[in-house]
Amino acid sequence: MNQMTKITEVDPITLQVIRGAFETIAEEMGHVLYRMSFSSIIRESQDLGAGLFDTNFNTLCESESTPMHIGSIPGYLRGIAETLEDGEWYEGDAVVHNHPYHGSSHTPDLAIVVPVFFHGRLVGFAGNTAHHVDIGAATPGLIIDVPDVYAEGMLFAGTKLYRKGEPNNAMWNYIRRNSRAAGQLVMDIEAQIASARLGARRFVELLEKYGEDIVFGAANQLMDYAERMTRQRISEIPDGDYTAEGWLDDDGRNRDQRLKVKVTVRVRGDEVEVDLTGSADQTPTAYNVPFEGSTKVAAYAGFRKLLLDAATSDTRVPSNEGSFRPIKVTAPLGSIFNPRAPASAEARFTQCNRMIDLIIRALAPVMPEQVIAGSSASISFAAYSGVRPSGDYWVFLEVNEGAYGGRPRSDGPDSIDNLMANTRNNPLEDLAMHIPMICDRYELRDDAPPGAGEFRGGIGVVKAQRVLTPAFITHESERHTDAPWGIFGGQDGACGRCTISNPNRPGEEKEMHSKFSGLAVGADDVMTYYSPNGGGYGNPLNRAPRKVLEDVLDGFCSPRDAREVYGVAIDLETETVDMATTEKLRFAMQRHD
Amino acid sequence: MARIGVDVGGTNTDLVLECAKGVFYHKVPTTLKNQSIGVVQGVQGICTMAGIDPAEVETIVHGTTTATNITIEHNGAECGMITTHGFRDILHIGRHKRPYNFSLHFDVPWQSQPLVKRRNRIAVRERILPPTGEIAEPLDEQAVRDACALFRKRGISSVVIGFMFSFLNDAHEARAKEIVLEEIPGAYVTMSSELARVMREYERFSTAAMNCYVGPKTAYYLRDLDARLREAGVTSKLRIMQSNGGVSTVDSCARRPIRILMSGPAGGVIGGASEGEMAGTPNIITVDIGGTSADISTIPGGQLKIMNQRDTYVSGYPVLTPMIDLVTIGAGGGSVAFIDEAGAFNVGPRSAGSEPGPACYGRGGEEPTVTDAQIVLGRLDPDMALGGDLRLDADLARKAVEEKIAKPLGMSVKDAALGIIKIINNNMALAIRSNSVARGIDPREFSIMPFGGAGPLHGVALAEAVSARDVIVPVAPGITAAVGLLKTDLQYEHTEAGILILNTATDADIARINGHIERLCQCVHDELDADGIARAGQSLKIIAECRYQGQGFELRADFPDGPLTQDNKQVIIDSFHDAHEKDYGYAHRKAEVELITLRVIGSASVRRIEIPKVQPTDGSSIDRALMFVRPTTFDCGRTLETPRYDRTKLFAGDRVPGPAILIQHNSTTLVPPGYVAETLDFGNTRISKGA
Repeated sequence: MNQMTKITEVDPITLQVIRGAFETIAEEMGHVLYRMSFSSIIRESQDLGAGLFDTNFNTLCESESTPMHIGSIPGYLRGIAETLEDGEWYEGDAVVHNHPYHGSSHTPDLAIVVPVFFHGRLVGFAGNTAHHVDIGAATPGLIIDVPDVYAEGMLFAGTKLYRKGEPNNAMWNYIRRNSRAAGQLVMDIEAQIASARLGARRFVELLEKYGEDIVFGAANQLMDYAERMTRQRISEIPDGDYTAEGWLDDDGRNRDQRLKVKVTVRVRGDEVEVDLTGSADQTPTAYNVPFEGSTKVAAYAGFRKLLLDAATSDTRVPSNEGSFRPIKVTAPLGSIFNPRAPASAEARFTQCNRMIDLIIRALAPVMPEQVIAGSSASISFAAYSGVRPSGDYWVFLEVNEGAYGGRPRSDGPDSIDNLMANTRNNPLEDLAMHIPMICDRYELRDDAPPGAGEFRGGIGVVKAQRVLTPAFITHESERHTDAPWGIFGGQDGACGRCTISNPNRPGEEKEMHSKFSGLAVGADDVMTYYSPNGGGYGNPLNRAPRKVLEDVLDGFCSPRDAREVYGVAIDLETETVDMATTEKLRFAMQRHD
Repeated sequence: MARIGVDVGGTNTDLVLECAKGVFYHKVPTTLKNQSIGVVQGVQGICTMAGIDPAEVETIVHGTTTATNITIEHNGAECGMITTHGFRDILHIGRHKRPYNFSLHFDVPWQSQPLVKRRNRIAVRERILPPTGEIAEPLDEQAVRDACALFRKRGISSVVIGFMFSFLNDAHEARAKEIVLEEIPGAYVTMSSELARVMREYERFSTAAMNCYVGPKTAYYLRDLDARLREAGVTSKLRIMQSNGGVSTVDSCARRPIRILMSGPAGGVIGGASEGEMAGTPNIITVDIGGTSADISTIPGGQLKIMNQRDTYVSGYPVLTPMIDLVTIGAGGGSVAFIDEAGAFNVGPRSAGSEPGPACYGRGGEEPTVTDAQIVLGRLDPDMALGGDLRLDADLARKAVEEKIAKPLGMSVKDAALGIIKIINNNMALAIRSNSVARGIDPREFSIMPFGGAGPLHGVALAEAVSARDVIVPVAPGITAAVGLLKTDLQYEHTEAGILILNTATDADIARINGHIERLCQCVHDELDADGIARAGQSLKIIAECRYQGQGFELRADFPDGPLTQDNKQVIIDSFHDAHEKDYGYAHRKAEVELITLRVIGSASVRRIEIPKVQPTDGSSIDRALMFVRPTTFDCGRTLETPRYDRTKLFAGDRVPGPAILIQHNSTTLVPPGYVAETLDFGNTRISKGA
């Protein structure tokens, strides 16, 4: 709610009209940003968010781009308020901000924020966040094994790139000199500024058309609406404390220490608390999660998926703060989900995804029709880089997909971005035309089956990328040791894997840890990533024999597993189910159970 | 000599016939199982109406949803695919992005309804390397033959061939095609490099797979229709409307049916463009409102816009084929109004369809729709729908609005009905905005052209919502798409990857580009030659699709006249900077520009339908067209005694002041108070703020 405006009750029709206008503005901002940008992480993966905000940092609208960005910008705005250059906003300003101890999601996600003035008065903000390829951190593109936040590269806090419409040339010059991918960085920041300014312009047009009272009144009501919807769904969950635990492989340096993630979900009436007490202490590496910008955002997003499923609901809930209000997030200061400065907190994605996966697991006993079995709940974030003969760096960031757990009414989707991730992959042909890398394999995994169940888990990906010249690789992933869980009789999925090999030296395949930093590799070295397979949902003996046959024909299930796990006999020659044998097998296996 | 346009919609098959005796319109029910039955009946019917022999028909132009429906109903051919070893699942993984951000129970259409099942995607050894296209590993021909044996065993005869980097070198795809045709004579084979020779494997493979998926059935439909027409005594040429707005032959569409996936809506946009020309207004935004959806397209300066190839999706699958730039939204006469569980007032995208249809149809529908709201407000006369052919029940409409909306929200039935209209108009206005303002087009310089039977009820409200200049209502709004079919040219397109930094291009690079252009022009000429078009009648346009080096999205730039040279390459570079500035509001004038795709579009003019002019006004009163007067409620909330005029009895130059309603057989036009409807030369109408 804007401080300067009265509370205005907006009629339901105008409300829908303004809601539509907000959504269109946010989409337009996102569209301009990714179409204009240069780095593949923004233009192809669309690792970005954009929206409008009021002066109390409430989200008025946000683009439907990548979930990790959605809901994160208010944290940045609070951080900017603490650190703003000049201590005040001027018309024509543009601020860059990425400080993880001042509200950012993590340092590579730079926010660009411009103030929105109406009749000479500050009424709100237009802003966006985007993941940049390189901001001059210790290692190119990504970091894991570093001592503190100062190794993450350039830290911006309330820094003005434009003041009163005039560029801050010293700052632009500084940025240009402090990145391995300076050209992309600078032009992508320009795309962000173009997008933010467009949003500000559209915001003013909207205010001119409907007036401040109506626009902010409507925004307020839309937040109340989202809150009401969320509370209604929470109240359908029986009150109680629900707990789940899992293990992360390591912190990227200390290989023998697994890290616990413990989630307690407390449901009380129409409110819920996610308590992460009992999770591991903060790590000495970059493997920590900024509390404001990432831990909270991920917890909110988890409930949004679980309670307000966009695919199965008749109505869509607007993207704003309202749905967060009934949800409280707790993580002790000094823990992996709420580190103390100056700990580094750049590599934070897999922990977030795991937290959501465990929220789902904790609630499984009381929400069997809404939950799904364990997903890959990790990510593979790979930074490949090298130096061209000219002396310039090339840096490529790749997000690899995961797989979903089996679901109450369908199989888990295969090889697709999981939970908080929702990016697009890079066309392999485009990549190989422009950087010294080539992909040797991009397929579904066939080395390990997905979790069996009445509805099976999704199948992870296998991707083999070969560098053509000497290069550095940093890789952030998870779950080499703790496989996605099956549920209600479904079986566990499969762990992830990562190897380094070279076609010229067959047999020398090296198993890698799930996280490694700045690995120097030679020409023709291949990194092969296998993402975890999802867990199964329900008893495999209840799976329709026809579906088992389809899976065998498609290579998703071996004939042997069909018989031994599913109790289904397949005649491979005629490509049919042997029903008589299947009935006998299943009868015997059920009795055995 | 007579020509017929026939547009098949979800409910009706619309026809228009032009001959020496004039222009005739006709409507028959669509035969959903096989559209050709309805088409033939319609053709016979309209010939009877016009009193001509079917043999006198020279050309039939057909807009069809056959190919689109296959993708919606998932009943295409069982396909096989031969692809590169290591890349069997490109079609299964897609771009690895989910359809929803916030969902656990979402469907992934390309996995749950794959165009080619995994068991039929066979990976064989072969390797072509970037950036030159050299062959690093020869094609394993035996593996191709083995794959064919499996396909034969499974009864598969529609085969996709998609190899990595085939956009650089198609030798392996071409050889594999030869082998498949040897092994499975008569197979329907599509190579990825022949449909869209461009970079990006998923999109290229998906395009080829879609072609194989819809190909056999579409080809069968088109050939069957051709045969049925001949049986019915029609000897004319049959032409098919393509998604790019040009028409093509049965043979060409049977081979490349992906070109007609948007055949249906394309006719409407073309019809709208030509109506703009007839009204002397080149800048128009067409809004084609049907029962469940509305198609919106912006036409600046009379020029159809073609969609960016990164946006051409059909039923969730990318298809790299030129399509008219239009947005479709779930807003139409059948859109349902409802209050959700948290109390919000929504209209659409769910539609009551034609069964049960709006409550007023009396077929058991209890939920209020946009059509019901129009009836409650007195804008649609229940006894006048389709000239009285369709009877509507006003009481059922009122009851539905009252019980489902007015009572729960504590408002009057009138206000609830006005709310339904306002929300649906707003949804359409936002879509118009996304297709205009969001792309740098100022709607104040454009006229809204509403059509579809109910379109002209919404025209003025939409023009107000987006601040458009005025509204132009076509001559026959209910049949504009069919008329559009008789207003288009033959058109073919071919593409080739021509990846190159223009700023630093060498003479050898430029020679290579000129070689590509020469080949593309030849392909286009070959197709037009095959249609019997003399070279003099063929016109070719060359387009350079470019981006800043490092970007991921291309924009279209002009290509200089004559061969490319070091001197004239700046034409492409400057044109690209301008396009970037126009689309995004920003240009990096010093950055390097990369050419990605070359495109050649060939067209040949076809004679256009001539709509007769109506009688100019003789100064007599418009009372000659007055039918009756009834109360009607307008957006301002006032209910006014509103005269109904028979639109067909108005003369050019007649001015009808609002409030008024113009009625004709297939459509109703609303003229709110403060507006004037002026009849133009062809019986078309311009509605603008009254002086």
